[in-house]
Amino acid sequence: MTNLVQMEEMFFLIAFAAYTISAVAFFIYVALKKDKVGNAAVLLTIVGFIFHNIAIVLRVIESGRLPFTNQFEFASSFTWGIVLCYIVIHFVYKFTAVGAFVMPIAFLVMGYASVLPKNIKPLMPALQSSWLYIHVGTAIISYGAFAVAAGLAAMYLIAVNREKEGIKTTSGLPDAEACDYMSYRVIAFGYLMLTLVIITGAIWAKAAWSRYWAWDPKETWSLITWIIYSVYIHLRFNRGWKGKSAAWFAVIGFICVIFTFIGVNTILPSIHSYR
Amino acid sequence: MKTAILLFILIATYSIIGTVLPQGLAGEVYLRDYPKIGNLILTLQFDQVYSSWVFRILLGFFIINLVGCTLKILPGQLKRMDKDHFMKASLEAENLYKDDLDIKKFKELIKSKKYYIEENQGGFRASKHKIGNIGSSVTHLGIVVIVLGSFLGNLFAEEGFFNMLPGDIKGFPDYGFSIQLEDFRLAFRENKTVDQYYSDVTILRPNQEPQKETLWVNKPIKVNDLNFYQTSYGWGNDLSIKDENGVELEKKLLRNGESFFYEPEHVTIFLYGFYPDFLLTGAGEPITMSEKKDNPTYAVILYHLNENVGSYIVKPGEPIKYNDINISFENSTLYTGITYRKDFGYFFVVLGSLLLILGLIFSFYFYPKNIIVEEKSIKIATRQNPWGFNYQIKQLVDKALQRGDKQ
Repeated sequence: MTNLVQMEEMFFLIAFAAYTISAVAFFIYVALKKDKVGNAAVLLTIVGFIFHNIAIVLRVIESGRLPFTNQFEFASSFTWGIVLCYIVIHFVYKFTAVGAFVMPIAFLVMGYASVLPKNIKPLMPALQSSWLYIHVGTAIISYGAFAVAAGLAAMYLIAVNREKEGIKTTSGLPDAEACDYMSYRVIAFGYLMLTLVIITGAIWAKAAWSRYWAWDPKETWSLITWIIYSVYIHLRFNRGWKGKSAAWFAVIGFICVIFTFIGVNTILPSIHSYR
Repeated sequence: MKTAILLFILIATYSIIGTVLPQGLAGEVYLRDYPKIGNLILTLQFDQVYSSWVFRILLGFFIINLVGCTLKILPGQLKRMDKDHFMKASLEAENLYKDDLDIKKFKELIKSKKYYIEENQGGFRASKHKIGNIGSSVTHLGIVVIVLGSFLGNLFAEEGFFNMLPGDIKGFPDYGFSIQLEDFRLAFRENKTVDQYYSDVTILRPNQEPQKETLWVNKPIKVNDLNFYQTSYGWGNDLSIKDENGVELEKKLLRNGESFFYEPEHVTIFLYGFYPDFLLTGAGEPITMSEKKDNPTYAVILYHLNENVGSYIVKPGEPIKYNDINISFENSTLYTGITYRKDFGYFFVVLGSLLLILGLIFSFYFYPKNIIVEEKSIKIATRQNPWGFNYQIKQLVDKALQRGDKQ
């Protein structure tokens, strides 16, 4: 078992290193528009993702459950969700440059995970439910999507500024309009997932504690995040709201996601504070 | 629309206040801890945000606004679902037509994507996912059903909590049954942490065979219309007061944090806590290492006329001598804490949730898609995702070109 723990840590660190180098490589790609560097960055991301998957599988073998129950496990899974969403976007839309804005987020979240205690604790009675996997699994995908959307929004803001300053897009940055729409579509997906997170959490809470909603800080901040993205989607859908303001909204929404994940767990006392 | 956004922002702001300001404390605490804004907190009910009249009014307005908005947009949406309705391409729509396009192949490709095709002079129109038109209304309906269902469910819910020691019976005469606790047990892991809390109960009904059930955290049981949840537990401890000759003067069950006033000596016996696996921390604070009775110990404080006369750490049966009496604790037994609830709102919450998810799927993934093909012109018409849809059709156009080239 000790070997497994050591191997998990080793694969986790290799994945972390690969993500870090790929983030730097993506920046070089955006700055110099060297396709070879871009391809290498994508390859490194995929290699990192494979090692990350191996680390997760080893942890699943060690613990006998999915890694969804403490801050380290969620941060690691959150990174996994971010990288997965990026890889999907890359292969469907060939947006290599998105990596320059998404992989730094993956690097930061993975970095946060790397400083957290990694010890495996058995599931407390309240978490012993199949709802855990659906509730937290959808949260990982949702948070990952919002991270990618924030990266796309940041890329849009930079692309628009460059266009405004008359700088032709000789860099690896894609068309600003494409970034804007992609950001919206990814938010729509993340929003659907976040809705599922809240619903499954409510149904689970009903089974465990008799009430579906208790206004716990985590629940409330999830709702606030949901409201922020609801406003975004309404403005976009009904008012054709797009461009800079929409991009800033996507960034603010993601800040709210990060606060719900890290801030609430560390600052506000909550029944969701699983350290 | 503007009202809806304003209400969203107000609800979010109010909710944030509820997470940063401690909730449900006594009024004096707010006046003491927040001298400058204490009165404001209490007037605006920031001390109980989620049950305040302001929050309820905001939620009420939100629902009214949502219903009004849905009723306003629904007729238009239903009209757009009509087979003959066809959205026009916007003026900025890009012409995707290419000179070497094999239009027949393009049409076949569209057909294979399950578009409904309508021929017209000089071309054709293709459309699909008309159901997406009502996506937002279904989403709104889902939210209304959830909020109203949970509100009415809570309003008419029957809820309660009770503790039981093994052998205790709790009656529910209105429902025609009683519930008896046979045993309450903890399952331990190797490291002595609790794996699960189990309450073994028997349901007793007149003229019927007793029905044995076990409930644990995450596994409630339903008896008639009542749901029973394993939500708490604790230790019940026998307090015994004896005279110098060992004659029992008083016997009482005390839970942790409870006290008993023994009138003859004017002494209050406060059971600070029972620690089954006792340890005294460096700071002098008693804690328990686990719930296993490996080192059972009691922390007790005595008061005489509200004056602390001594604090004691004692083992089971070990007497605390006070004037002419001996005070002791023993026979600590686990009791269970069970919450019961009857709530018809659950059905509506689940129904509303399904509608909400369905509405979002309609809106985001089954949004109406229209392709207008005229002479040397292919344009798309959609409200939801023009860039993405344009991208998809561009790919189809390219596919039709490539196939034509190969032949």
